[in-house]
Amino acid sequence: MGATLKSTKPPDRVAACPSRIPFIKPRLRVKKGDDIQVGELLFEDKQEPRFQFLSPGGGRIDDIRFGPRRVIEQIVITLARDESQVNFPTLTDQSLATISRSDLVDMIVTGGIWPLIRALPFRDIPDPDTHPPMIFIGLDNTEPFQTAPEIYLRGNEELFDFGVRVLKRLSETVYVTAPKANDGVQKCLNGQINLDYTGKYPAGDPGVLLYHVKTTPAENNSWFIAGQDVLMLARLLTTGHYPTDRIVAIGGSATDNRHHVQTRLGAPIADLLGHSVDPAVTRCVSGGVFRGQAVSPNDFLGLYETALTLLPAGNNKEFMALFDPGWKKPSYSRVYLSHLNQADLTVNCNRHGDERACIACMHCADVCPVDILPQLTYKATLADEVEEALAHGLLDCVECGLCTYVCPSKIELTDALKTAKAAYRKERGSG
Amino acid sequence: MKMIKRFFDAQRPHFSSGGKLEKWYPFYEAVETIFYASDEVTPGQGPHIRDSLDLKRYLATVVFILIPLLLFGIYNSGYQTRLAAGAPLDLWTVIFTGARSVLPIVLVSYIVGFAWEIIFAVIRRHPISEGVFVSAMLFPLTLPPTTPLWQVALGISFGVVIGKEIFGGTGRNFLNPALTGRAFLYFAYPAQMSGDTVWLALSGLKETAVDAITAATPLVVAAATETTGAVEEALSGAGYTVSTLFFGFYPDSIGASSTLLCLIGAIVLMMMGIANYRIIVGDIIGLILTGFLLNLLATESSNPYMTLNPFYHLLMGGTAFGFAFMTTDPVSAPDLRAARWIYGFAIGALTVLIRVFNPAFPEGIMLAILFMNVLAPLLDHIVIRFRMKRRVPNV
Repeated sequence: MGATLKSTKPPDRVAACPSRIPFIKPRLRVKKGDDIQVGELLFEDKQEPRFQFLSPGGGRIDDIRFGPRRVIEQIVITLARDESQVNFPTLTDQSLATISRSDLVDMIVTGGIWPLIRALPFRDIPDPDTHPPMIFIGLDNTEPFQTAPEIYLRGNEELFDFGVRVLKRLSETVYVTAPKANDGVQKCLNGQINLDYTGKYPAGDPGVLLYHVKTTPAENNSWFIAGQDVLMLARLLTTGHYPTDRIVAIGGSATDNRHHVQTRLGAPIADLLGHSVDPAVTRCVSGGVFRGQAVSPNDFLGLYETALTLLPAGNNKEFMALFDPGWKKPSYSRVYLSHLNQADLTVNCNRHGDERACIACMHCADVCPVDILPQLTYKATLADEVEEALAHGLLDCVECGLCTYVCPSKIELTDALKTAKAAYRKERGSG
Repeated sequence: MKMIKRFFDAQRPHFSSGGKLEKWYPFYEAVETIFYASDEVTPGQGPHIRDSLDLKRYLATVVFILIPLLLFGIYNSGYQTRLAAGAPLDLWTVIFTGARSVLPIVLVSYIVGFAWEIIFAVIRRHPISEGVFVSAMLFPLTLPPTTPLWQVALGISFGVVIGKEIFGGTGRNFLNPALTGRAFLYFAYPAQMSGDTVWLALSGLKETAVDAITAATPLVVAAATETTGAVEEALSGAGYTVSTLFFGFYPDSIGASSTLLCLIGAIVLMMMGIANYRIIVGDIIGLILTGFLLNLLATESSNPYMTLNPFYHLLMGGTAFGFAFMTTDPVSAPDLRAARWIYGFAIGALTVLIRVFNPAFPEGIMLAILFMNVLAPLLDHIVIRFRMKRRVPNV
């Protein structure tokens, strides 16, 4: 990943994307044509109105785009030249030490930063009244082509430290997590990292880390927040303004120009790319190869997304692929010659085959970071055996996507487990 | 290349929805994907990438690994036939003789097996599963070269339909389909499947004056030995020396005689991760340990077969073939690692026990595998209970 930080021309529009925030039912609080300030309420969750989503820009509501079944996809804001800001109360080092926990929570909630904190196991926005056993701060989630923490931390070390201290008021145990091998971030934060790990994606996922540190069932409801979002939290509380800075990594196997850009929350994808992308040739993914969402250049950066990954679309019929020895075919298995090839290989978005029945090759169980047997859990969910799926560890699933990736039968395992988790959450009536 | 593309582009409308042959789309799809991989892309919600490996390639690799065994089977059955008949043994006539008896068996197995798969795919509206290509190759390799073609057709039909399709098709069968078909023929038509006269295909050979030549298989020789501690001598006396058994140059079922080729196949499949080494190693440990145990328990008055050096069990009969290609079928084997060790061990042990103690069945591997196929879900169930106890509950 390129360590260069470029800046793009300031965007003239930004947007909030409610449909990309899982589990919430947005209630619009603005209408087209309204004037709006940075930090003014755009929409809130119908079930929990304390989940407030604030405007990432100041100007006028230009458009509200609806998707199928009136899902609110985007609230587009045309930026004014001088953006006015809503003012929020601030904290100093002293007042942070003395403020009560509930007042601190209120500050974060009204400042619109609360949704950046999420709760395991469902990865939804936590109930502000609950007390998490642990909070994980993720500095590098090990997914390919994500933002490098040393880039967004550079010059912001004190701010980050403030953010960590805020989180320490919310929970007794706060883990600052980073890969042992990442020298840059280890040096940057010297000594602050209290949980380091080795291994490939998804080793740094909070769910994986929790799986390895937890000792009691009570710890399952831990919270997590991304490193860059800790800076957002600290900015809100120190400046009193809704923070909109974002550093986004641009990468992927369809581009050689891998770099970071300094931009803002909800920026247009086209502005970030800086060049046009033909969707028939290249897929643009906002978020990441495994967890992201395909977006078009007309789209905008979502609340949680800090990476744009460009992948070859792979929508062509490969001739004689069945007989290819596969020197350049990326595979988890050892079936192709690429197993012996040390070079970097190019992945694309082709499915590489059609869906078939599970033949118990066990690749999914071998890659699962939390020792679920994905194929058996999947079969349990197919049979509506919720209890059995839970006993298999359904809720430990970190939704990393590896089981779907390796499956030679092309079964959408992650999707099935995610759906089962969401159904269980709904049934249980939480959130 | 352009021509092939044009051909498929021209045919696709007939098979697509609204076309005249709409129902037969699975057949079209199965043929097209031999030449052209699918252009389907991943959904827009992650993960956006998929492994290059699909089931078609996975199973095609198994078929590919089996081809040397088929070629050897053709050569060996021709060679043994002409040798027994006293006919000249030059290479091409040997291959011709072998091919004339073996290839029709393989062809019938493929045509009938594939036909059933298409019928079920069309009726059930699912794509053709490639599993049948492996079953239709494994099945003929376990047959004697003299098997009548109608029995081949019947056997593969039983294997595919009763062994697999009625349970929902590939992935849902709890028995190995090829072995189910083999077992059906074994019990339904013992005259053509076992005994001393089925291993040499003499009919149609001009040079011979006799109709059939008996060739007692090593298993029969071993079981018939009456002197304690002399089983090895009896075997080499009948021409079954260690090297003959290892290389496989003796009359036997088409593809199962060469331990060497099975060993190579097993190693390649294990290196590729297609065959699970736990099962194969478990098989071998179970077989050898049980053989040794019988050696230790053997007395002057006990069954002389018990004194056989256990490594002979690996060389004789279908053990090597069964271990390499039948026990490793992941669908009918258990899923979990510990269960796979137990499964393999039990198959090895049962093979020896059936061979030595059951006078009705000279060969034990087939029944051992089928028996453990039935027990595989139970083994998984037990291992999963243990696994679940280790987790910190999350409900």
